[in-house]
Order: sequence, then C-alpha cells, then structure tokens
Amino acid sequence: MKKFGHGINQRAAIQLAALLFVGASLFIQGCASTPTEGQADSSAQIDPYEDFNRSMYDFNSQVDKYVAAPVSDGYKYITPGIVQTGITNFFDNLKGINTVINDLLQAKFEQGAQDTGRFLLNTTVGVGGLFDVAKAAGLEHNEEDFEQTLAVWGVPQGAYLVLPLMGPSTTRGIPGAVFDTAANPATYVGYPVQLLSVINSRANADGALKFVDEASLDSYVFTRESFLQWRQFMATDGASGVADDDLLGEDDDFMDEDLSGGEAKSNAGKEKSSSVESAQPGLTPVISGSSDSALSQGKPAESK
Amino acid sequence: MQQFYKRIPSALLICLLSFQSWPLMASEAESARVIVESFQMALIDTMKQGKELGYEGRFNKLAEPVKVSHDLIKIARIVVGREWENLTAEQQTQLVDVFSKLSISSYAHNFKDFDGESFVFDSEEETARGGVIIHTTLIIPNDKNVKFDYMLKKKGNSWKIINIIANGVSDLALKRSEYTSILKREGFDPLITKINEKIDNYSKQ
Repeated sequence: MKKFGHGINQRAAIQLAALLFVGASLFIQGCASTPTEGQADSSAQIDPYEDFNRSMYDFNSQVDKYVAAPVSDGYKYITPGIVQTGITNFFDNLKGINTVINDLLQAKFEQGAQDTGRFLLNTTVGVGGLFDVAKAAGLEHNEEDFEQTLAVWGVPQGAYLVLPLMGPSTTRGIPGAVFDTAANPATYVGYPVQLLSVINSRANADGALKFVDEASLDSYVFTRESFLQWRQFMATDGASGVADDDLLGEDDDFMDEDLSGGEAKSNAGKEKSSSVESAQPGLTPVISGSSDSALSQGKPAESK
Repeated sequence: MQQFYKRIPSALLICLLSFQSWPLMASEAESARVIVESFQMALIDTMKQGKELGYEGRFNKLAEPVKVSHDLIKIARIVVGREWENLTAEQQTQLVDVFSKLSISSYAHNFKDFDGESFVFDSEEETARGGVIIHTTLIIPNDKNVKFDYMLKKKGNSWKIINIIANGVSDLALKRSEYTSILKREGFDPLITKINEKIDNYSKQ
C-alpha cells in the first residue's frame, strides 16, 4: 500500500479513520457533537455560521496550499523517517501530562495510572519520549483532552466553528484548546520547538488530507462531519454512533413513507408500507431500467 | 381413525417443512456475519492481487461482492435524504447508477495492495430497529488497528450492509451530509458531475 512520510502506511482501508488525524494534526482542537444530527435539516443548528466558516475554511486551505504544505514537504524531504517518528513520539509524550490530568478530571483513575506509567516509562527508558517503549510494554496510548472532559461534564457542544489557521472547532472546543495548550510543556519552550511541533503535525496529516481531497465531494462538509463524529467518538470513548441507528431508523420511516407515496409518487397519500422488505420491490423498476449501469453488469442487488 | 390417517400426509409435510426450516433459520441467524466476512474475504483477496489486477481488474473483481453484500439502492436513497422524493424517476436511476459505480470504484481505488492486513470478527449486536451490527477489527501490521462496524438490514431473505463505521466515523452520515448539502446548494446535476469526477479520478490514480 501507499507509504507516506516516515513509513506510516497510509492504507486506504484506514483512511476514512485517518480523518481522525486531520483533527489532531491540523492543529485542531475540538469538540463533540451528535453526528446523526449533522444532517441536512439540522446542519443549520450545528453550523449556524456556515458562510463564515466556509470563508475561513477556504482561507485556511489557501494558507495550507501555499505555506504549510510546501514547508511540510520540505520537512519530510530533509528529515529521515526514523527522526520524524522520534519527533512525533516526543511531542506525543509531552501531551501525556495533559492526558493524565484529564483522566483524573473525568474520574478515570485506572486509566490515569496507566497513562502516568506510560509517560514516566517513555520519559526515562524512552529517552525523553523519543521512543515509544511503553507501547511495547503493553501500555496503549490514550487520547484525552479538556474538551472531552467538558463533554463528560455535560457542557453543551455549541456551534461548529472554523478558526483562522487553527481549523475546525466548536464553541466548547475553544476553552478546551486553551486548557490543553496551557497544560502542554511544549508551549513554554519557545518558538522553534513549537514550530517544529506544528510542522511535524502537518506532515503527519498529509495522508489524511490527501484522502479528504480524493474522497470528498464537498471537502468542507466532509471535514466538518468527520471532525464532529470523531470528537463524539472520542468524548464517549467509542460508545457513540455504532449502536445508534437513528439515522437509519429515521430513513426506514422515510423510505416506507416515500415508497407508499412512491412506486414512485403515483400512490401518494396511501398508508405507509409496514416494512422495508415489503417496500423494496417498489425500487426494482428504478434500477432495472439502467441497462448500462454498473449494477446491470452483474446480478442486481434486488434480485436476491 | 380414518381422519387420523388422512392427516398423516399433512402431518408429515409439516414435520418435513419444520425440519427443513431449521437449517434455514440457522443460516439466517448467521447470515449477517457471513455476508460481512465474505465481503471482507473478497477485499483481502483483491488486495493480494491488487497490483497485478490494476484498477480495472480490481473494479471488476469487486463489483459483484459489493453489489451482493451492500444495499446500494437503499444507501443511495438515504444519502440524499428527503430530496429523493423530489427527483424524477430518471434522476433516481441515474443517482443509483453513479452511486453504485462510485462505491465499487472507491473500494477498487483504496484497497489496492496487500501488506499483511486481516479482518477479525469481534461481536454481533442487534439494534433497536431490527438491524444487526457486525463489529470487526482490521489488523494492520506495524500500524494502529481500525474498528470497522458494519450495520446491516434485512432485505428479503438476506442481510445487506447499509453502513460502515470506521473508528466511529459513519460513512452513511458523512455522505448524507455531503450529498444533501450539494443538492441544496447546487442541485442535482452538479452532484452527478462531482460523483463522476470522483470515479474518474479514482480510475486514474
């Protein structure tokens, strides 16, 4: 598969998930939300400042294209992969302090103990964090930040915001970012180190950004939705979204409704179909009519 | 007594049907998992031959597995939301057609080679609305594992994938937001144009 930068395999299969790193790596500090609310009807609620946000997004994209990306490319060109990995490990380890603080603020004491051990191990045996020896010792990296803590405390997410140079955030993400920045030792060591941190983060995000570019029809919406979903996933420690099929349930209702009015539209006003299955045959004429379609090259799905 | 004898054939028939239905029920119960695992096997298999096959080869190899395992019509409807009702029959056909091509094309583009990846089944879960979620993990050597959760709904006698959630990011919700936004802001034809551009880009890379 494709290899990017310092040997991180940027597999297609994980590239959707790699959007996560867009948030982390593009200097994004975040927020959480209810992803299923991010649909057309409620997008105005989640993103009330869309016009402004789109302007900021375009501005950031231009800055990235003409400043960040060339610098990042140069950085990757001159920096050996193993050094990049070491730099990434170093800055990740510094964030470990913030992780432990937020573990405790969220009453995750066992995880807090693990993360403390992780930080101490990497700082000592791992030569100041350059080597992630804790991973080999079975201590997985946890990601906690103050915005997640605010979410756990019940602070509402607020509106989606795209900040100049900072990228996606939310109303709740702003105080979160301020706290995280204050709790990161890299903040206090001077501009060269901070600059290195930013450039390294941008370099690591390269694959994810390319994926967004490749996969999205509207990169603004794509970034917004994946960012909000990712933050929700983080805030709930992976418990959100998966078992919640409201989106689908709602669409079942919609589809039933639609199909009753549907075959297509001639039966408007009739009672809803009772199930999706019963509704499906109504779709058959739609697809079977596409003789040169991709579907017609093989067995049409509805023929099952 | 005569009535008893008369009832034997029908009783036998009922027994026979009952026995026949056991394996059917058993296979139905596991079919959601089987659908997902078969599809994942097809993906891994394609990745293993990815370089030799090239994009076209991967597209052709994956077309059938994608169509069999995914409810592409339903997904296409969901991603445009209620706008579906405002589309003409021709537009609906066109949308399903290009969306199906995009789905296959996306797999063909992204699953292009093999580096020891494997899928592992984690668990199965029923949803409140009669769906099933198959939780799996993609194991990637020397990289972070990725959680892949497949949501399936029953269609006729078989289960079909209608959503894939990768590390908490729902593909369906993502697409729905994008597609409804484009429809709202730009209209149907620009949406189709953009999808075709993506397919074109995938085929070139």
